[in-house]
Amino acid sequence: MRATIGQYYPGSSIVHRLDPRAKFVAVSALAVALFVRDSFAGLGVFAIAAAIAFGLSGVPPAWFWRAFRPLLWLVGLTFLAQVLFAPGEPFLSLGPLHLTWSGLETAAYLSLRLAVLVLIGSVLTLTTAPMALTDGLVWLGRPLRRIGVPTHEMALIVTIALRFIPTLLSEVDTIMRAQRARGVDFRSGGLVQRVRNLQPVLVPLFVVSFRRADELALAMEARCYRPGAPRTRLYPLRAGRADAVFLALTVAIIAAGLLV
Amino acid sequence: MNAPELTHAALAIEVAGLTYRYPGAESDALADVDLCVRHGEFVAVVGANGSGKSTLARLLGGLERAGTARLALACAHDLLSPEGRWDARRDVGVLFQNPENQLVAECVEEDIAFGLENLGWSVDDMRRRVDEMLAAFDLMDLRRREPHLLSGGQKQRTALAGVLAVPRRVLILDEPTGMLDPAGRDEVLSAVARLRSEGLAIVLITQEMDEVAGADRVVGLSRGRVVFAGTPKELFAAAGVVEDLRLGLPPAAELALALGARGRRLPRLPLTIDELSEMLVQSA
Amino acid sequence: MSVTLPDERPEALARGIGLVCRDLSFSYATGDGATPALSGVGLALPAGGSLAVIGPSGSGKSTLLQVVRGLDRPDGGAVVLDGVEPGAPRYAELQRATGLVFQMPEVQLFAATAREDVAFGPRRLGWTEAAVSAAVNEAMELVGLPEVSFGGRHPYSLSGGEARRLALAGVLAMRPRLLLLDEPFVGLDPASRRDLVAILERLRDDGVTLVLVTHDVDLAWRLCDRRLVLADGRVVAEGPWAFAPADLDLLAANRLRAPLLVELWRRLGHPPEDAPRTIEAAAEALA
Repeated sequence: MRATIGQYYPGSSIVHRLDPRAKFVAVSALAVALFVRDSFAGLGVFAIAAAIAFGLSGVPPAWFWRAFRPLLWLVGLTFLAQVLFAPGEPFLSLGPLHLTWSGLETAAYLSLRLAVLVLIGSVLTLTTAPMALTDGLVWLGRPLRRIGVPTHEMALIVTIALRFIPTLLSEVDTIMRAQRARGVDFRSGGLVQRVRNLQPVLVPLFVVSFRRADELALAMEARCYRPGAPRTRLYPLRAGRADAVFLALTVAIIAAGLLV
Repeated sequence: MNAPELTHAALAIEVAGLTYRYPGAESDALADVDLCVRHGEFVAVVGANGSGKSTLARLLGGLERAGTARLALACAHDLLSPEGRWDARRDVGVLFQNPENQLVAECVEEDIAFGLENLGWSVDDMRRRVDEMLAAFDLMDLRRREPHLLSGGQKQRTALAGVLAVPRRVLILDEPTGMLDPAGRDEVLSAVARLRSEGLAIVLITQEMDEVAGADRVVGLSRGRVVFAGTPKELFAAAGVVEDLRLGLPPAAELALALGARGRRLPRLPLTIDELSEMLVQSA
Repeated sequence: MSVTLPDERPEALARGIGLVCRDLSFSYATGDGATPALSGVGLALPAGGSLAVIGPSGSGKSTLLQVVRGLDRPDGGAVVLDGVEPGAPRYAELQRATGLVFQMPEVQLFAATAREDVAFGPRRLGWTEAAVSAAVNEAMELVGLPEVSFGGRHPYSLSGGEARRLALAGVLAMRPRLLLLDEPFVGLDPASRRDLVAILERLRDDGVTLVLVTHDVDLAWRLCDRRLVLADGRVVAEGPWAFAPADLDLLAANRLRAPLLVELWRRLGHPPEDAPRTIEAAAEALA
């Protein structure tokens, strides 16, 4: 089982190969630019750019849908709010519900903007391996080190967490099976019962994890790990011309989106 | 007091009178332990649970405060001082029992590079060394594999490659096969045999008698004290000591002990069925 | 032996359950299609018998135990307990009388005291507190951890061997008549291994049906009168131990060897099937 964490979809497209730092900066800038002014035209520019980037990545569109689907309730809420509280002349009324053109327009804009935001974010998370993204964030966060934020250690925390997630998932499965063999039924019972059923799973998980942390720390020290000491990387981040071009393009897109 | 580096340069490990007690413990984990290991020697340390063998492994690796000793040197580094312990960590590698809890990175080759990254090696040097280790431990095909997809034996080989990626002079293995199935056990023990032939000083801590057979010398611990020091042959001949140390015996050895208890003594403890059947036929 | 087992047998661990597996197949559903773990697996184990399941890693041994216990429903075939088919009225009760001890079972310990952890299973069976207490005391005695001295101990304060025996007690307290064990000896120090072997021999002699997955062929020979050799989810050999040349070839092909005592008997010119099961018996015979 290949564990896909944080939605990373492995590939070697041009988007995949961009430096994670460039991608992160571009995505952050675009996300901000989305909210600077309300304009369908501008939104259209950003939407087209994001769609092109997504297309170039080679990731199946279904993956975007997987990211957006959980937010549909927000879309629904937006429409509902507009339907109930929008100002302006209604063209259709049903008791307390008034449908106005401006209300519909606002709801549509907000929903579309949400979709574009998710699309832009997806391009980042789907094409960037979690470790690469972490390394990029650590580099970008260098100024924070000067004020004492342990960014290197945080990166290591992310590495170790990612490495052990599949292991923990399989251990949870095993523990649950063992407790099922002792008669626990995880699927039945009211809320209180289900919470109580978690105890024979969570306690062992905690114990295993603490013991693991101990042993892992020892193994790391045995390999000369020293918190705070500078470390090199087998695969360091290397930005290239493609990244410069990409950033320049992003600036152009933002300009276009804000001016159109 | 002589300068240790000059007088004891030939010894990879030199420990005399080592005593260690865990904070708050009622008794010593190690008491007055002497241990010398020459460069290129293969020493087995045996003992039951609670005999102090894991504590010894950690101390020799510079991973634990050293307690008190007349002398405690690992590759001429003084284990009684913090700087000495830090330096020892570089020359002395330690492999632990649980393969799962030694792997840190996302994939095999990045885990092998972990120690080198910690020491600030350049990318090119690391690349070369990692490739060497992948080849040496037959992990080339698994280089990008994630740890949770590896078998126990593969994990332990990866961990071993990671420990040895940093060039070491001594390798300590703390019950490295305890959690492995027979296939995994073979993988690790053959890797150790190969390292042995390359001249690395090896300290193998184990409770299994058959892992002791290839050692140059054996040290037996019981409740923190050294109760035996000699060659494997001498250990196999000292059936009483073997029983006292509560070691894991291959069936051939167990049968020999049981025969001895019934009055039919064999010349020495056999480890394999070949040795046993030969001895039985000869003594019939 | 370091663990002292009680002399009295509890009659509570009554007659064992017979087990028949008929053409079992099972696949794990993974992201990219199903991975077959068991194909056409069949076996017959009479009540009170003992079966060793041996085979290389990944051959489906653990999966088989979990299907037999009912944690996974087979895609095809059936697990018949004591002659009762799945779906019949008594089946659920028989499933509850089947105990499964996982690999490294001490991981499942979670209660504040040893006795509370052992009581967990019996309580879920809906027994009265008195019955639960009796079962807990019995089970803890059986594994050499008398309730009187160990009952109040914290599970995590126990040694590796003790914790494993406590986890076993947790299953035994449910009075299983069919006991399934998945690699119970892995990760145990030699002394604890010897203790556990003695406990399993006692259970077997008391009439509990045993199914033991192990990679230790010598322990399999000592504890079990039948064997099932699995490879890639399929049965390669099933039934009482056999050591004709063809059988030995089969073992070798699956990277297994014959038990040492069997091999020794063969070399000494005796019929291999007559080899004694235990070292003690062999020493008696050869002394």
